[in-house]
Amino acid sequence: MRLLLLLSWPHARRHLLRTVLTTAGVVLGIAVFVGMYTANQSVLLAFSQTIERIAGKTELQVTAGEAGFGEDVLDTIQSSSLVRVAVPVIEAVVDPQLRSEGDLLVLGIDMTGDRSLRDYDLDSGDEAIVDDPLVFLAQPDSLIVSKDLADRNGLSVGSRLPLQTADGNKNFTVRGIMRPEGLATAFGGNLAIMDVYAAQHMFGRGRTFDRIDLALAPGATIEQAEKELSTLLGPGFDVQAPAGRGRQAEAMVAGYTMMVNISSVFALFIGMFIIYNSFATAVTERRAEIGILRALGATRGQVRRVFLTESLALGLVGSLAGLVAGAIIARGIASAISNLVGELYGVANQATEVATDPLVMAVAIAIGMLTSVVAAAIPARSAARVDPIHALRKGSHQVFSAEESRLRMVIAAGLALVAAASLLASESRLLFFAGYACTIAAAVLVGPTLTVRLTRALRPLLTRIRAVEGALAADSVIQAPRRTSGSVAALMLSLALIIAFGGMARASYGSIVQWMDAFLNPDLFVMPSQRLDVRTTRFPATMAPEIASLPGVERVQMFRNNRIMFRGKPAMVAALEMNSVRETGRSVPVAGNVDEMYAKAAAGTGVIVADIFSQLHDVHLGDVVEIPAPYGTLALPVVGIVVDFVDQQGTVFVDRSVFLEYWHDDTVSDFRVFVASGADLVDVRQRIIERFAGERHVFVLTNDEARQYVLRVADQWFSLMNVQIFIAVLVAILGIVNTLTVSITDRRRELGVLKAVGAVRAQIRGAIWLEAATVAVIGLVLGALLGAINLYYLLEIVQRDAVGLRLDYQYPTGTLLALVPIMLGAALVAALWPSEAAARRSPVEALAYE
Amino acid sequence: MSNAFSLSFLLTGLLASVPVAQVRPAINDAQQIVEEGQRRAATTSERYSGLLQSFNADGKTSEKRWMFERIGSHGKSRTIIRFTEPAEVAGVALLIVNHPERASDQWMWTPALQRDRRIALQDRSARFFGTDFSFEDLEERVAEQYDYTLLAEEPLAGAATWKIGAVPKRTRSSQYSKQTMWIRKDDYVTVRIDSYVKDQVVRRLQSTKILTVQGIPTAHELEMTDLPRGSRTRLALEKVLYNLPLKESDFTVGALRR
Repeated sequence: MRLLLLLSWPHARRHLLRTVLTTAGVVLGIAVFVGMYTANQSVLLAFSQTIERIAGKTELQVTAGEAGFGEDVLDTIQSSSLVRVAVPVIEAVVDPQLRSEGDLLVLGIDMTGDRSLRDYDLDSGDEAIVDDPLVFLAQPDSLIVSKDLADRNGLSVGSRLPLQTADGNKNFTVRGIMRPEGLATAFGGNLAIMDVYAAQHMFGRGRTFDRIDLALAPGATIEQAEKELSTLLGPGFDVQAPAGRGRQAEAMVAGYTMMVNISSVFALFIGMFIIYNSFATAVTERRAEIGILRALGATRGQVRRVFLTESLALGLVGSLAGLVAGAIIARGIASAISNLVGELYGVANQATEVATDPLVMAVAIAIGMLTSVVAAAIPARSAARVDPIHALRKGSHQVFSAEESRLRMVIAAGLALVAAASLLASESRLLFFAGYACTIAAAVLVGPTLTVRLTRALRPLLTRIRAVEGALAADSVIQAPRRTSGSVAALMLSLALIIAFGGMARASYGSIVQWMDAFLNPDLFVMPSQRLDVRTTRFPATMAPEIASLPGVERVQMFRNNRIMFRGKPAMVAALEMNSVRETGRSVPVAGNVDEMYAKAAAGTGVIVADIFSQLHDVHLGDVVEIPAPYGTLALPVVGIVVDFVDQQGTVFVDRSVFLEYWHDDTVSDFRVFVASGADLVDVRQRIIERFAGERHVFVLTNDEARQYVLRVADQWFSLMNVQIFIAVLVAILGIVNTLTVSITDRRRELGVLKAVGAVRAQIRGAIWLEAATVAVIGLVLGALLGAINLYYLLEIVQRDAVGLRLDYQYPTGTLLALVPIMLGAALVAALWPSEAAARRSPVEALAYE
Repeated sequence: MSNAFSLSFLLTGLLASVPVAQVRPAINDAQQIVEEGQRRAATTSERYSGLLQSFNADGKTSEKRWMFERIGSHGKSRTIIRFTEPAEVAGVALLIVNHPERASDQWMWTPALQRDRRIALQDRSARFFGTDFSFEDLEERVAEQYDYTLLAEEPLAGAATWKIGAVPKRTRSSQYSKQTMWIRKDDYVTVRIDSYVKDQVVRRLQSTKILTVQGIPTAHELEMTDLPRGSRTRLALEKVLYNLPLKESDFTVGALRR
């Protein structure tokens, strides 16, 4: 303890900035890991909370995919003696047309029976749910809103609230305000209740319900009721507890979750290297002090304990601050991820709470402290072991021994062999992931050796830029590879992730554009919402002939998509008018004959599946796809496999007649309009809008606008890359600052001599800047190389584990080129303070150091 | 014999009886008293216009007017209630089909949506559209499904009454554990019903302003009090008529839409 006070505390006070930098390394490492993980968990938590709070006392829920089912199903369920109460529900996510408000979840319920399942208590205690329940039922514009929403927007009973409906924007009347607890807190409090029959009308649902919530009769068990209702209703219906819907939502975003988890693991590795580097830097910087202590009689154990205690303390402080910073990062990106997931998967959620998992917090703190201790222990141990005289000598400890380098290379080669073998020898996913881990480990191990070799290769270039400064910079890295190894490893991992994401983005864009050219080729899209992903509002089929009769319209196609469960996993059924699509689509199948494919699908004797669906469900040409639907089980062979991006879970394309037969639902998600040659696109668009003005709310998107929308959603998907780039820049700055700080401390005497023999400040500054740039360039080169391998692995994961998307390998040269100025800029920023510190130090002070 | 009593019946004349002039032998058995009261109130149809006033614990009031029509007798009757005021609910109609052996079926017509809906009467203890009546109170209940006990003979509001206890039989599910009724001796009109959950009175129905219509004593003011909530609902009957030539076809879901 005395040693701690003697050595650590004065050092921390004297070198406050260094202490802060070291701690910052821990903070950044932990924050990145916790932030990424927590943001994702927050989104998943929002799903389950919304489902749980809406479910109330519901014991079982009956669903039949997204299309819902006819009202007669309610009678069937109510006829079961095992059911005490069964109430219909419609859910719709709508734009509340309120400034600074996100989407609003509108829950359509039957107030006459629903109160036994859900608690709608108003602000005023046990008062009636609304001022007048009969008025609530009689007036289809009636809404009950949550208190949070009312408070944020100054709403009270009697206020008007505009909502987007199938018939355009309509003003609704607030007739009740719910207390901010239980149900009212679902969907982040952005919740409104309306009558289920009014909801049918407002959202164009015909006479269908989305689901039926039920509570059991006294004495009945969930298993009994599940079994009886499943038998009563048939295979097209899902009868499950509310938690099951939560699991469905999780299954829907499983691919996304996997990608984020990979990012989190990378973030964790990067964080560990940052922490390691920060501590290794801090300890090696004080090697001379260790030598003095040892010379004065301190034992090796004492020295080791001092540094371990110090690293534990800093590790703890940094980890705790990292948790806070991680929570802030999570809060910042959770709502963005939430919106993205909503747009991609159409799953209603609103992440307003940060899901702090105590286990993850504990793991993060443990990782932070452990890495800090290991990072401090290795240099402290070696420093404590060496002779005090050697310890006082600068630089020698930063060199890897030939034996150590050889061992690293041998282990790396072994790991690389294991990785290669795991790819060639087996289809096992476990071996695949083990191989992936071996590849990353091998890259980290060969990093220092490659750093030295690359710097040697760069030396001529550096000396050409600046003869003296270049040589000094290169030699500094070559002579002390240990000093730069942590920074380079962190940079390499960070950049490898960016390169892989960039490659994925490029391949995805390429495929999406090809798909849009082939399939998304109508001139106009007539939709009930500005968003292509909104499926809660639909059109009646009767609009098709009305649009077709407008001047300038050559062809109208009805498109209907509907979320289903296939083999327990979410998928999409898309109903098309196949005979019409075969004449307008130019889709070349991945498997199957194009003419035969469309002919059979149009005849209702086969289905076409998306490549994603084929990959995710291991379904091939000729296989029979069985889809349980509300009115029978659809069982048809796959007659073609096409590349398609309609849905990330994979789509099954059926002829519209087949959909009508098995779902009894003729509503339309959107109309696809082909304009006659010679007709003006703008005029036709205007005619469609005017035809339905005041009658229905229609949005007409041109082909360009639809394409832009699709690409924007793809952009959002890859927006995670921006977070990674930001982290990479931070990693670069922090790593390089650490590296340079040690470098100038180690070379204080050398720099002092240089100044004494006439070197000017600009030369010292230049040498430090070039060293920083060298570290950045090496990080870039190694990151680019590892990124190439990482891209291969990620594409494999995307295809086989996450999304089922077969993407071509295309190295993202553009991303790499864009990273060059970013990383060099980060290096220069990082070098600002160390270069000034070195340049301004007096030569007398530097020479007197020892 | 399908003897029954219910709110629906209350609305249609539960509290009515034949004039005292029709002298009958003295009845001391509780079951017989109830059955006699219902026999005296029996009519084939009824029409009246009603004013429904709800008063919550804070003194806030709301008013609605409806036109009431019933065809059939206790336990197997059909009723249509059409709301006429206020404007927000005008046109809303309710069809109640009572069955002697089970809970009634109910449909509602909402003109703003131009559609009818079946009302899920699964939670019979739920309040009837914000009034102090529950859906169960609306059902016609068969007298045989209760065990009656003559508790006392006592005066109430200046009239001699029988105080009768009614406990639902095991075959009958009810939110109430028991009820206590006060039936006037002179005209067999039930002037008060206390409904209990466990040993606590939760609802009290009181009938006043008893006027004779077509020879049937009829309560023209009914007031239900929800004691735990401290709220009450008053129904005032006007233009009461019995035994009208109404048609069965006017009491269907199709007719509801007209």
